[in-house]
Amino acid sequence: MARSNGVSDEALLSQPSDHEPATLNRAPSSYNPLSNFALPKGENRHYQQQFADMYFARLAQLKPAVETIAAESFEGFEIAGETARRVERVLDVRQGELCWVVGTIYMELPLKPNILDDIGKEHWIAAPPPRVKFLTPGGGDQTMLEDESGRLRLVGAALEDFVLVTGAIISVLGTENSDGDFEVLDVRVPDLPRQPQRWEREDGEAAVKKEAVAKREKAGKVALVSGLGITGDEGDTLNLELLMEYLLGEAATEQDQQETATVSRLIIAGNSVNAAPVPSREELASKKSSKKYGYDSSAYNPAPTNRLDAWLAGLLPSIPVTLLPGSADPTSIALPQPPVHQAMFPHARAYMELPTSGLVGSFDSATNPYEFDLDGWRFVGTGGQTVDDVFRYVPGDDRLEMMEAMLRWRLWAPTAPDTLWCYPFQDGDAFVMKECPHVWFVGNQPKFETMLVEGPLGQKVRVISVPEFHETGEVVVLDLETLEPELVKVGIFEG
Amino acid sequence: MSTDYTEYLAANVLNEQQLVSYRSLSRALKVHVNLAKQMLFEFHRKQNAKKPGSVHATYLITGTRTEQKPQEQNGVQSQDSEDAVMQSSPPLPSSSAPQQQEEETKPTPVRSILLVKEEHLDQAKATFDHITGIHAYSLAAGGLSDVQTLTECNRKIAATYASEDPLEAWKQYGTIQNPNVRRRTQKRPPPAPAASTAKETAAKPKPAPAPAKAPALEKQATKASNESDPNSSRATPVPEKDTDATKKKTATKPTTKRENSDIFKSFAKGANKPKKTASTESSAAPSPAPAPAEDEPMGGMSDDDPEDVADDVEVEAGAGTGKSKKDRQAELEAMMDVEDEPMEDTAEGASDEPMEPPKEESVEEEQKEEEPKESMTVENGRRRGRRRVMKKKTVKDEEGYLVTREEPAWESFSEDEPAPKKAKPTPAPAAKGAPKKGGAKPGQGSIMSFFGKK
Repeated sequence: MARSNGVSDEALLSQPSDHEPATLNRAPSSYNPLSNFALPKGENRHYQQQFADMYFARLAQLKPAVETIAAESFEGFEIAGETARRVERVLDVRQGELCWVVGTIYMELPLKPNILDDIGKEHWIAAPPPRVKFLTPGGGDQTMLEDESGRLRLVGAALEDFVLVTGAIISVLGTENSDGDFEVLDVRVPDLPRQPQRWEREDGEAAVKKEAVAKREKAGKVALVSGLGITGDEGDTLNLELLMEYLLGEAATEQDQQETATVSRLIIAGNSVNAAPVPSREELASKKSSKKYGYDSSAYNPAPTNRLDAWLAGLLPSIPVTLLPGSADPTSIALPQPPVHQAMFPHARAYMELPTSGLVGSFDSATNPYEFDLDGWRFVGTGGQTVDDVFRYVPGDDRLEMMEAMLRWRLWAPTAPDTLWCYPFQDGDAFVMKECPHVWFVGNQPKFETMLVEGPLGQKVRVISVPEFHETGEVVVLDLETLEPELVKVGIFEG
Repeated sequence: MSTDYTEYLAANVLNEQQLVSYRSLSRALKVHVNLAKQMLFEFHRKQNAKKPGSVHATYLITGTRTEQKPQEQNGVQSQDSEDAVMQSSPPLPSSSAPQQQEEETKPTPVRSILLVKEEHLDQAKATFDHITGIHAYSLAAGGLSDVQTLTECNRKIAATYASEDPLEAWKQYGTIQNPNVRRRTQKRPPPAPAASTAKETAAKPKPAPAPAKAPALEKQATKASNESDPNSSRATPVPEKDTDATKKKTATKPTTKRENSDIFKSFAKGANKPKKTASTESSAAPSPAPAPAEDEPMGGMSDDDPEDVADDVEVEAGAGTGKSKKDRQAELEAMMDVEDEPMEDTAEGASDEPMEPPKEESVEEEQKEEEPKESMTVENGRRRGRRRVMKKKTVKDEEGYLVTREEPAWESFSEDEPAPKKAKPTPAPAAKGAPKKGGAKPGQGSIMSFFGKK
């Protein structure tokens, strides 16, 4: 039998009492989004540019950082009397010379999706199932280092110690062997950039306006959830209802309700609806034959978004919500994903501010990835595609390790544009991390995991992999003072 | 108060065989959810003392559980990552290995919220390490075959209490209040959640109405079946009756509204004049149901093109004609004659044919063009007059053939006020409301359900 804590847990199993429960108030929070991942609007959004520019821009942005770190550790490195020398360009590497050089990793994986497959597709009877990993079992994969000048094939046992994916900017130390391959001895990555102090932005703004900073109350908590997976079908949404009741402070006992009142915001990290995937080219082609006039109800099912809208509208009067899209949400699939359009939320949008007002309402339909300050901490979150894609390049399935690697590469989406859809940025890669966040959460992961990543300058990043709610019923609740997560699990006892 | 809830629960759980959750009880009686939980418990205890097994309950347990899968996974994970660290130590000395061990020593606390059927209660309790609270979640007569049906409770709440302003009304239910909430449309209440499907339509590009409506109808159908007995709601001692009716009306209205803008605006021009006056007149009177809030057009971001919005507004104004019905209803309500009116109203609406209006309209419209001088008077909300209609006549001609000819003929008519122009908006929603209220067959909706997604 369970231990119980006496009176309080039985309090509601009694006759109706006259005890008037106190009105609970939701803990306030300071929420301050950044628009780093907003795409240019309207006319200014172009898709004609070459993706190669992104790689150049990325290399240019990250090269100085890698060089500094590499110089620190490789300068004066000596083997057999030979001192490591810095080489400016990949093609300047001379055979037999100990040197280090900076470049972009490119993974040559035969199983990586290839644009030419699309042509081959027409000759398939059945398409092969999508791959979990791009790695070729038994070898055949090559790792290259490239820059504007050319490519260098990397070899050596040392490589296996590092997580590497296409797009990462690193510096390698080694020599070119007689085969013309580069024997790697060591690798350096850009590592974490500067991390702002807590409240830095708010304090800065206040200082500019010459206002005194008001004393801040103790921060509450934030709830992180992802993969609500609303299908619009009945029969699998009771967990969702329970979650809503919990967040509204209606479920559970007074003690729990008081605790719930400290949760000051709900963040939904992607895949709120479980819509059908984007139709393939064949499907589209076959659809064309039966051209319908106007809206084709067989092509679009409004039930999931209706359901989501109703669910959000039920929460918003009590708790503010930030909604990041994921791969299944009704918005563009190319990163950065634009916010889910407010037309999808006829009820919930009453809690949004007008886009022209410049204010943030209780309901914030956000981009993916998204960066914001919550109670002074810098948060960055994604719907999970970036990590899922890195996962395909890397042996093993330790996702935390991949997330840590991404932080140290200073890249939010290293594999875009190679294997991840993305917007062809022209002036600089928006996925390069400029400031180190305090919290990085990734939605739609197989299970809840968390770790603390530390940087060379004392940066500390709380990394959280948020599980899919639809599968696990789990919600991560993060304390905004200590940045310690806890898990709330909603479920139905099946006996 | 004690009789209140016993009565309500007896009526709904025992007689109507409905599911009642603590939330629906708190909404119905306007009490704090925690009180409602106690009421459920007490009722369950008393009933089962009288007759064991008559009422089935579900419970919600909160606490920390022994069987904490996530924690186990955590443990496994950190072992994993130790392995991983071996084969791929992160580039810097300040690597993650030590922290992960810390992590391991400090497992993430897991709080469980578990819904349990009463027959599993003890079993479920045993899986908990520490229980912070148990309360009754819902009651149902007999047993509960599928727990998932409990979602119905919340959906009903959303539909029934849609017109309540959550910022005001929810306080009494004990919902956590948020003083910092920002809502854009201050003047009007937010759109009714029940209308979600309907409103969606409004927000979508024009061709949407039919499919979007299908789910609405389905929902109503289920709703209807749930409320199948009209007496059920009447039996409740609660004053929600009338709000109910009006609410549903508001809820359904938007659906038709868009239709209006599509179909009717084309005819509306000629027919508009008399109606307008009627509508202004009627909308001047306080209508019991707040018009569904139409968001102000959102510059740039909105998919609704301005024209649409204009249409909506126009139609809304036009819909006022329909409101005269509501108007009357309001008067009636004022006379405390709340009980039956909505029913009557809707029944009327139902018999009024769901789909006819457009047809009738177009016929009339044609006539109007040909012959603008029909006479008509409006009095007491009824229109009387003479109008020209085409009558079919079949005659035998000289050669002995039967010939069918259409001939114009005059006929006098007297009908419900809203007739030709904007009338449409109201009858349709009323008709929709009708199956619900009157407990008529749920299947009988508009023809639009035919086009819905199957």
